[in-house]
Amino acid sequence: MSSHRVAGKGRIDTTRPVSFTFDGRRYSGAAGDTVASALLAHGVHLMGRSFKYHRPRGPVTAGSEEPNALIGTRRGPGRFEPNTRATVQEIWQGLETTSQNKYPSLKWDVGAVNDAGYMLFSAGFYYKTFMWPKSFWDKVYEPFIRAAAGLGVSPSEDDPDRYASRNMHCDVLVVGAGPTGLAAAHSAALAGAKVVLVDEHAEMGGALLSDPDVQIDGAGAWTWLASRLAELRALGVRTMTRTTAIGYYHQNLVGLCEKLTDHLPDLPADTPRERMWRVRAKRVVLAQGALEKPLVFHGNDRPGVMLAGSAQTYLNRFGVLVGKAPVVLTSHDSAWFAAFDLADAGAKVQAIVDTRDSVRDDLRAGASARGIEVRLSHTATGTSGRLRVKSLRVAPLRADQVGAATEIACDAVLMSGGWTPSLHLFSHTKGSLTWDDTQTTFLPKDTPEDCHIAGASRGLWGYEAALVDGDKAGREAAQALGLKIAAGRFEVAQDRTGSGVSHRELPSDRSPARSKAFVDFQNDVTAKDLRLAVREGMRSIEHVKRYTTNGMATDQGKMSNINGLNIAADALGKPQPQVGLTTFRPPYTPTTFGCFAGYHRGSHFEVTRKTPIDGWAEAHGAAFEPVGQWRRAWYFPQPGESMDDAVRRECRATRESVGIFDASTLGKIEVMGPGAVEFMNRMYTNPWTKLGIGRCRYGLLLGDDGYIRDDGVIGRLGQDRFHVTTTTGGAARVLNTMEDYLQTEWPDLDVWLTSTTEQWATVALNGPNAAALLAPLVEGVTLSDDDFPHMSCAECTVAGMPARLFRISFTGEVGFEVNVPAPMGLRLWELLWERGRQYGITPYGTEAMHVLRAEKGYIIVGQDTDGTVTPYDTGMSWAIGKKKPDFVGMRGLARPDLQAPGRKQLVGLLSEDRSKLEEGAQIVFDPNQPVPMKMVGHVTSSYDVGTSGRPIALALVEGGHDRMGEIVHIPMPDRTIAAKITPTVFVDPDNARLKL
Amino acid sequence: MNAPVSALTPGPLVETDVVRVSLEAPRGRLSLRARGELAPFDVALGLTLPRKIGQRAAGDGIEALCLGPDEWMIHAPEAQVGALLSACATLYERHPHSLVDVSGRETTYVVDGPGALDLLSVGCPRDLDRILPGEGRRTVFDGVTVILWRDGETTARLDVWHSFAPYLSELLETGSRELAADAAAAR
Repeated sequence: MSSHRVAGKGRIDTTRPVSFTFDGRRYSGAAGDTVASALLAHGVHLMGRSFKYHRPRGPVTAGSEEPNALIGTRRGPGRFEPNTRATVQEIWQGLETTSQNKYPSLKWDVGAVNDAGYMLFSAGFYYKTFMWPKSFWDKVYEPFIRAAAGLGVSPSEDDPDRYASRNMHCDVLVVGAGPTGLAAAHSAALAGAKVVLVDEHAEMGGALLSDPDVQIDGAGAWTWLASRLAELRALGVRTMTRTTAIGYYHQNLVGLCEKLTDHLPDLPADTPRERMWRVRAKRVVLAQGALEKPLVFHGNDRPGVMLAGSAQTYLNRFGVLVGKAPVVLTSHDSAWFAAFDLADAGAKVQAIVDTRDSVRDDLRAGASARGIEVRLSHTATGTSGRLRVKSLRVAPLRADQVGAATEIACDAVLMSGGWTPSLHLFSHTKGSLTWDDTQTTFLPKDTPEDCHIAGASRGLWGYEAALVDGDKAGREAAQALGLKIAAGRFEVAQDRTGSGVSHRELPSDRSPARSKAFVDFQNDVTAKDLRLAVREGMRSIEHVKRYTTNGMATDQGKMSNINGLNIAADALGKPQPQVGLTTFRPPYTPTTFGCFAGYHRGSHFEVTRKTPIDGWAEAHGAAFEPVGQWRRAWYFPQPGESMDDAVRRECRATRESVGIFDASTLGKIEVMGPGAVEFMNRMYTNPWTKLGIGRCRYGLLLGDDGYIRDDGVIGRLGQDRFHVTTTTGGAARVLNTMEDYLQTEWPDLDVWLTSTTEQWATVALNGPNAAALLAPLVEGVTLSDDDFPHMSCAECTVAGMPARLFRISFTGEVGFEVNVPAPMGLRLWELLWERGRQYGITPYGTEAMHVLRAEKGYIIVGQDTDGTVTPYDTGMSWAIGKKKPDFVGMRGLARPDLQAPGRKQLVGLLSEDRSKLEEGAQIVFDPNQPVPMKMVGHVTSSYDVGTSGRPIALALVEGGHDRMGEIVHIPMPDRTIAAKITPTVFVDPDNARLKL
Repeated sequence: MNAPVSALTPGPLVETDVVRVSLEAPRGRLSLRARGELAPFDVALGLTLPRKIGQRAAGDGIEALCLGPDEWMIHAPEAQVGALLSACATLYERHPHSLVDVSGRETTYVVDGPGALDLLSVGCPRDLDRILPGEGRRTVFDGVTVILWRDGETTARLDVWHSFAPYLSELLETGSRELAADAAAAR
């Protein structure tokens, strides 16, 4: 038996011993222990060092609000986690844990010199100390601060664990499985609601686990709990432990983080470490309870000083006496019960020191019966001890005067400054709070969500009150869903009701300037710091918080916010509500990135769409690039080839014979209906009425503002049927825009849009031999200039497959795009590949496609345009139907500034030194002007030698259309490059190559 | 004529104690858009088009799911697609509509077993209990648009565009194994 374990106490299973290590030393515990409870069972309180002063610290709490006992946990390679709360982490055989923020050891730490220099490290000391000399900031101060900042060691290896997520719907979600939550879940479930009950602890019961002597309905608390849980499960309530409700989002969406494996010695296969649940609940009952407040006095952070309620938890849940000779220091009745429980378990309680001048008779009788000395109207002014508290210095208070102090020897100080209702999730709902002066705390008021809050989280105290209120909340939630149920009845005996008073820092005879009375333990914020912040001009609690870092530690102010507010309000001489409370933000407790990422990591990070021909490209060594959600073949390097080599070869082969290209990712929309042609007229800049069936036209799509949004070739397959193509990345956006206009602006048009992007696999053949390769496979169309000229389309059969054949070109060569049903795409590709061998057919990727189109001056929307470019700017006024009454963007295009001369216009650029320009590089007219120079445009597309014999570029240049032949300059880091403005077409300006 | 792409071979994808996921053989699919009088389409298609979003109807080998106020997804044997297109084409003059063959656009997963709905809840934020057996919806799975056909208490189909299928397969497989592990842990 460990030194501080009490036989017969606790819910741990002492028949199942578990051993683990802390800082390399092996400790034993029992199944059900946390790291903190197991260490405390060995009398170990020292578990960490504080952040700023490196002061020795032990656990203050027994729960997820713990600010001090943060440890690193390790489970083999990659599975290291810093800042894990020792009060939450369950032990398992072989668990390795380490303390943090210490060097060389936890007991002897060099950084503790900061503690001696505490007069220097007051609030805001960074701002004051590191002001001058200014030049020191980058080289000295910032690196120093960065090195000192951060708690725990960041993991450096990839996380091998998997994380999951799931959606859930229920009638009533109950957060917190203490007496309130259990009662709420019960009444809602009895009424017939589908109920989910979650709790962050390893087992349900909340405070009942720490108060076994309470009698409910004639049974002990634990017996009642067991039968109530069994009943809930029988009623179909889904109960989830180790599950934290981390955030309450709009319309009753609650995020839950379920920890599945951190407590297991062996990791089961296929089980995620954590799972994020997105629960959409019709009603939510918040029963998060209350958190105990520390008292603020000099030395209140010494290991062994902890919350009284937590000491009671360690005793009753874990069978651990946190001290054999504790002293209780309190301003609330609840700590008296903690004293009684510890005394009954064999501890020699040295005294109960209460700040109040009168206390209930039954409590005084209880102390008297146990022979516990009681000191009322007393304050605490300090503690002694280095790595563990040895004594508490107390003094009587008379009319706010601190009397003569005495020392009480002890091995633990159990403090209680009262209880703070947990309003975190309630506040996430944008719920309003109201200040309660009697309890000196905020209480919940109104919430816009379908949310109930009950029990201690709305300021009630005592088991009967919590049960009754929980039952009522569950009933009201059910009623809101149209379900009826009578009120539950609870017979509670030996209830532990109580009340208390609240304090700022406790009155002391010490000089306030030399007092280290901690408010935020983890961030080492003292009462003195808060008062200093106010003296230095901070008025809002938000400013006080940021200046002092109070409440900014990993516990997010669970321990410190109300104490901090009380002190700041006092310093300001204003009531608390006027000073305000900082905002509660999700997550409720620190949550892993893994839990948020869920499945979306590695290969599943983001949707990657693949064409039917993708597998072939991969097998043929393609390099890929992402385009929107798609991955597209970028180029097909042969052994030993660089990207430039491959692209040059692909371009040349296409111009000289025939290239094959997977264009399946192009967006495709079937526009069908009697209103189709009118719809096309209204959407696109071009005129469509006179486009013949079987003919294609390049279409330009603008936004309302007159700027280019998308483009593509559109074929007319029938009087009422168009085959529209869009850019790869724009497909979904264009369809949505069209649907938007159709549904909101033009409901009069009888026309429907269907996405056929994925109906068709599109194989493009380009080059002088394209027709020769394709012709023998085509039935129903003769591939001649007379029968099927450039910009024709037809429904026909290609290699026996139903096809839509387009004669179009994005390369300047004779080009065909063959669309076949997607599942046949690969077969068509392989057939063309096989039969193209005789022509030296070459697959080319998106890079060669870009080069070939740039050589012809064909724009790519989104590369040569950026949302501020008009058709005039790109020299495409020919695409605008001048006689049309309207089209999307017509009015925008008429704005004077869009017609003004001197706008940035698309031109070609040829560098004078034949170097390849940098895409995105800025352009100036006069390289000798003073810096900052006037920038007159930028390079939009630039390619190394393709087939035109030299590097080419496209650029947007102010007034570029009127500057043909002029020289502009591109300043680069190492030199300035001169370039000549040219037309945008570098190859075959007469389009002679488009003819067969 | 709808040979599947190489990565998507019809057949079982994953089978565990609680759920089985498989990829269906190709089938004919038509997207119908029409408004006004629907009775002529009922005759042409051989079933009564459901008038309410989410409702389904079945005829001789074909089934229709109402996806929007003027939109239906029709599944039919591939051999019938041509006939259905022709039958509706004759209505076009008097009843303009859009009937587009999208057989090549998408594929269908069948999710079957006691864990089927749990598996769908991995990627679908909807309340699946409110999509009754015999109904269907257009919704999302793992961020991807899908058409969900709830065929029975523990059976459902997911229609998804081909390019998204490898991505979906991955999560369906991961999710199935995870559910099996959950079930094993609960035993």
